[in-house]
Amino acid sequence: MEILNVKGLSFTYPQCGNKALDDITFSVSRGEFIVLCGATGSGKTTLLRMLKRELTPLGDKEGVIEYNEKNIDELDERTSASAIGFVMQRPEQQIVTDKVWHELAFGLENLGFKRDEIARRTAEVASYFGMSEWYEKNTEELSGGQKQLLNLASILAVHPDIIILDEPTSQLDPIAASEFIAALKRLNREFSITIIISEHRLEELVPVCDRLMVMDKGKVVYFDEPKKAAPYIRELPQVQLGMPSAARLYYKLDNGSESPLTIREGKDYIEFNYKNEIRSLPQRKYGHSDEKALEFKDVSFRYSRDSRDILKGLDLTVYKGELFSVLGGNGAGKTTFLKAAADLVKIYNGQIRIFGKKTKEYKNRSLYKNGLAMLPQDVQTVFLKNTVREELDDSGTDIKNLPFDLSYLLEKHPYDLSGGEQQLLALAKVLAANPHLLLLDEPTKGLDAAAKQKISGVLHDLKEKNVTVVSVTHDVEFAAMSSDRCAMFFNGRIAASGTPDDFFSENTFYTTAISRITRGVYDKIVTLEDAVEICTLNGRRTG
Amino acid sequence: MRRFEEYEPFVITVFFLSVIVIAMFSVHPVVVFLTFITGILFYIIRNGKKHIRSHLFFAMLFVILAVANPLVSHNGVTVLFVINNNPVTLEAFLYGINSAMMIVGVLYWFRSFTQIMTSDKLLYVFGIFSPKLSLILSMALRFIPMFRNQAERVKDAQKAMGLYSDDNIIDDIRSNMRVFSIVVTWALENGITTADSMSARGYGTGKRTNFSDYRFGRSDIVLLITDILLFIIVIYVSASGHLDFNFYPSVSYSGHDTIGLIGSIAYGILLMLPVYIEIRGNIRWKYLMSKV
Amino acid sequence: MIVIKNRSVRSFIRVAVPFFVIPALALFGSIAFDRKKHIIISLAAAFFALMVFISGFEKKSVGTRRLVITAVMTALCFIGRFIPFLKPITALTIITALYLGGESGFLVGAMTAILSNIYFGHGPWTAFQMLAWGLIGLIAGFLSEPLKRNKLLLLIYGAAAGIAYSFIMDIWTVLWYNNGFDTRLYLSALVTAIPYTLSYMISNVMFLVVLAKPFGEKLGRIKIKYGV
Ligand SMILES: Nc1ncnc2c1ncn2[C@@H]1O[C@H](COP(=O)(O)OP(=O)(O)OP(=O)(O)O)[C@@H](O)[C@H]1O
Ligand SMILES: Nc1ncnc2c1ncn2[C@@H]1O[C@H](COP(=O)(O)OP(=O)(O)OP(=O)(O)O)[C@@H](O)[C@H]1O
Ligand SMILES: [Mg+2]
Ligand SMILES: [Mg+2]
Repeated sequence: MEILNVKGLSFTYPQCGNKALDDITFSVSRGEFIVLCGATGSGKTTLLRMLKRELTPLGDKEGVIEYNEKNIDELDERTSASAIGFVMQRPEQQIVTDKVWHELAFGLENLGFKRDEIARRTAEVASYFGMSEWYEKNTEELSGGQKQLLNLASILAVHPDIIILDEPTSQLDPIAASEFIAALKRLNREFSITIIISEHRLEELVPVCDRLMVMDKGKVVYFDEPKKAAPYIRELPQVQLGMPSAARLYYKLDNGSESPLTIREGKDYIEFNYKNEIRSLPQRKYGHSDEKALEFKDVSFRYSRDSRDILKGLDLTVYKGELFSVLGGNGAGKTTFLKAAADLVKIYNGQIRIFGKKTKEYKNRSLYKNGLAMLPQDVQTVFLKNTVREELDDSGTDIKNLPFDLSYLLEKHPYDLSGGEQQLLALAKVLAANPHLLLLDEPTKGLDAAAKQKISGVLHDLKEKNVTVVSVTHDVEFAAMSSDRCAMFFNGRIAASGTPDDFFSENTFYTTAISRITRGVYDKIVTLEDAVEICTLNGRRTG
Repeated sequence: MRRFEEYEPFVITVFFLSVIVIAMFSVHPVVVFLTFITGILFYIIRNGKKHIRSHLFFAMLFVILAVANPLVSHNGVTVLFVINNNPVTLEAFLYGINSAMMIVGVLYWFRSFTQIMTSDKLLYVFGIFSPKLSLILSMALRFIPMFRNQAERVKDAQKAMGLYSDDNIIDDIRSNMRVFSIVVTWALENGITTADSMSARGYGTGKRTNFSDYRFGRSDIVLLITDILLFIIVIYVSASGHLDFNFYPSVSYSGHDTIGLIGSIAYGILLMLPVYIEIRGNIRWKYLMSKV
Repeated sequence: MIVIKNRSVRSFIRVAVPFFVIPALALFGSIAFDRKKHIIISLAAAFFALMVFISGFEKKSVGTRRLVITAVMTALCFIGRFIPFLKPITALTIITALYLGGESGFLVGAMTAILSNIYFGHGPWTAFQMLAWGLIGLIAGFLSEPLKRNKLLLLIYGAAAGIAYSFIMDIWTVLWYNNGFDTRLYLSALVTAIPYTLSYMISNVMFLVVLAKPFGEKLGRIKIKYGV
């Protein structure tokens, strides 16, 4: 049975020339799990918001959206509010109240349920998601992952038919992200709740979904099983690059119509098709200059006197011209580490030197004058002006020199950009500061795979110019392709570090999908390029 | 045993309101004195030796209030002495002390009220009368730390991008203004998103339940009824003129009648309720602890 | 139940009853009955005025977005109250009223009083502060057209609001202290309050000069973009 029916939907934002959505038609059956992907700015958020009446933005809308064969504009308020649940792109935006229990109850209160019923349902969802530990906490104190789980749980408490999620895992660490996806899958299986989710990190999502919807420039270009997507998305590098590694490997090597999707299918595919006489590629040499760009010596920091240490005797050296990536769980203290490096928080023990000079010795903010620049995790904090143009002019950026295209956005308010566009604009501003030491906090969140590759290219160009880059990221694929060294942050310290090849081939969870696919077949293969190379080197099994 | 602050917030509010209404309704020195003494007593029971500075402040305020009246007001017949051709009278002096006691007493009670009624309780009580306003208040409360953090974060972000790196005051002020301005934009924008999230979750679709963890138990009912009964007695006694007291032109009052006495005792009991509950709670607690 | 069709009459009554009829009755009551009960009567009047206004507001359907924007402005006012000496509350209340209407202005003023007193201490004065700030916002809402057009008028209104606030709070202080109105006490209270009155006036004018335009733009953008 069809639960959602979209017919000829078009949408234009006020004061904007081109359509954000262009003549979209599709339908979704009850109990389906649908993944929506597409390049940054292709209209995913806009489409999802159209499906939820209360969130429909102001603008010109054409076409019809039906829920259970009824136009959603004609649904009564209660049904509209309770049947379709929406989890927003930034977890803190959705939270309304100050206590976890109250947040869970909020939707039920609005719908006028009896107190007993509210008590029962909140207790139920809280136990289902194992939230009893933090049931009484303030919502402000939760970590990003907990906030996202809370959002999902509080939507679930009203028993929706459909849950729509807009990039819910973009700020989660790999483990939290896969737990979140597992929770979604469970809801889908156990309660046959229809799920529509938009995401750029498709590694784990695509294998669990029923159908994949691909958007490009406001149009739906593909909507079918992900296995069969290969021939259709070959023309769309932005989408293709975002597909699971097993599929991408397959796209590069083969041309059939059904691609492997999961790690296991990928592994089977290689083992079955390729020889493994040559087990590894020649090791890339790791070398570094003698000059130290950033040095932490026994650094300790805590936010207030009676809280715990976030940095616990951290020792670390990053050399000039190096690309250095830090990975680690949510709340591990990665952002705090960057803040300490940028001298934005005061450490209580140890020493931080930047280009050999103690941070204290940089007087009058000279540290930031062509010295160090940082891209913060929350990019909205970077914007000060009313239009993208002013923003770029103010920072002295020449739009022609940018590695990515922002020219079509010049007259927009920075807050009106899509999540990925904001990220790119912020990056442009930071690059304009011409730093020698660049600190990046989650530079690729919310970006499509093509943009990620461009940024990876930017980093390598910077390296050529002898700029040192320290990035913090949850994106292992990005870390693998754009660093000289990677490190794992745990318990206030660097727990392990090494070249990407060593680092990822030794890790079990914090590792790239390619490393997992090739493990046991080949040694120390962590990126797609290497995997393609070694497979080609080995050649196909014959017979 | 529950401590006083653990009672249902509505019951607590009714108690404080009844005390304050009586305290402000009557100028009778007995009433005023009772308010004053128990206000201090209750505050000290709850806070022990802490907040010495508050006590000092109140003591100073007391003196100022007591002295101010005879200096400004020259009513009264018993002249004590004359300053600058203005008579200072005994009545005005007594009146000043009485007013000071009343004001400082009420202030002490309010101090305890502010301590006990934390924001979530206040919002809960407010929510009984006006869910909408209660929601505005609770959201505003949540926004306050959010805005502060955002301002800090924007400042840090700007600093670390080397944009306003000249180190002089003008530049500082300018960049602070910019930060303030963008935080306001952000706050409004963020507010809209919150609003959308609320309507997406059914806010405003119909009658709202007010779900809370506060439960109305037996002891709450007992306290509430006792409170209301005593309040009615005191108000009746006072309104029927048995607790009248005049300072001007000369000190005069309604006489030592039994009804006035009953009113005073009822008021005394009312005031001692939280003190009693608090002490009883402490004793029980110590007893339980000794058994562990 | 009497149903009044005309909207403007209805909204006039909604304002007139709490803020004019009730105080007038209270005044009459206190003069007619017992001179000494001024304090309790005025407190009761303030209380009822607020209750009537609030219950009117409660029944009305107000957009969620408007509600939240009111909360945002209240939070900003609250933070402003921590600035030493200069308080932007009145100015922000007036600005809110200009762009979102008198009712929002009233709410921002009144709610700020409740909220900030959680930290600055609640007292019987809370009711009067609510009324004072609230009314300043409400009246600014009525005058929003001329005030928006004429900057000088706006500044004069700001200064006047500072004086009015001081007068109201002084009346209340005297009532409480003296349990009745005493002109001499009132005058001396006014004199001692001159520095405060001045600082209110200066704050209001200064913050209106600085904030009126940028806040106007921002609230204007919100109004256009989201139709608040
Ligand atoms: N409020 C708005 N006003 C004007 N234009 C907007 C607004 N929101 C989005 N847009 C524009 O519409 C286009 C589609 O945006 P949308 O947010 O749907 O993209 P998206 O696919 O979700 O991107 P991302 O992956 O970066 O989140 C973008 O070009 C964006 O700039
Ligand atoms: N301003 C702050 N005040 C107090 N505690 C804070 C503050 N900022 C962060 N923390 C706490 O410090 C810890 C580390 O936070 P941090 O933001 O550095 O983590 P992170 O590794 O960047 O996490 P994520 O991957 O989710 O961004 C967390 O437990 C967090 O709650
Ligand atoms: Mg989006
Ligand atoms: Mg972080």
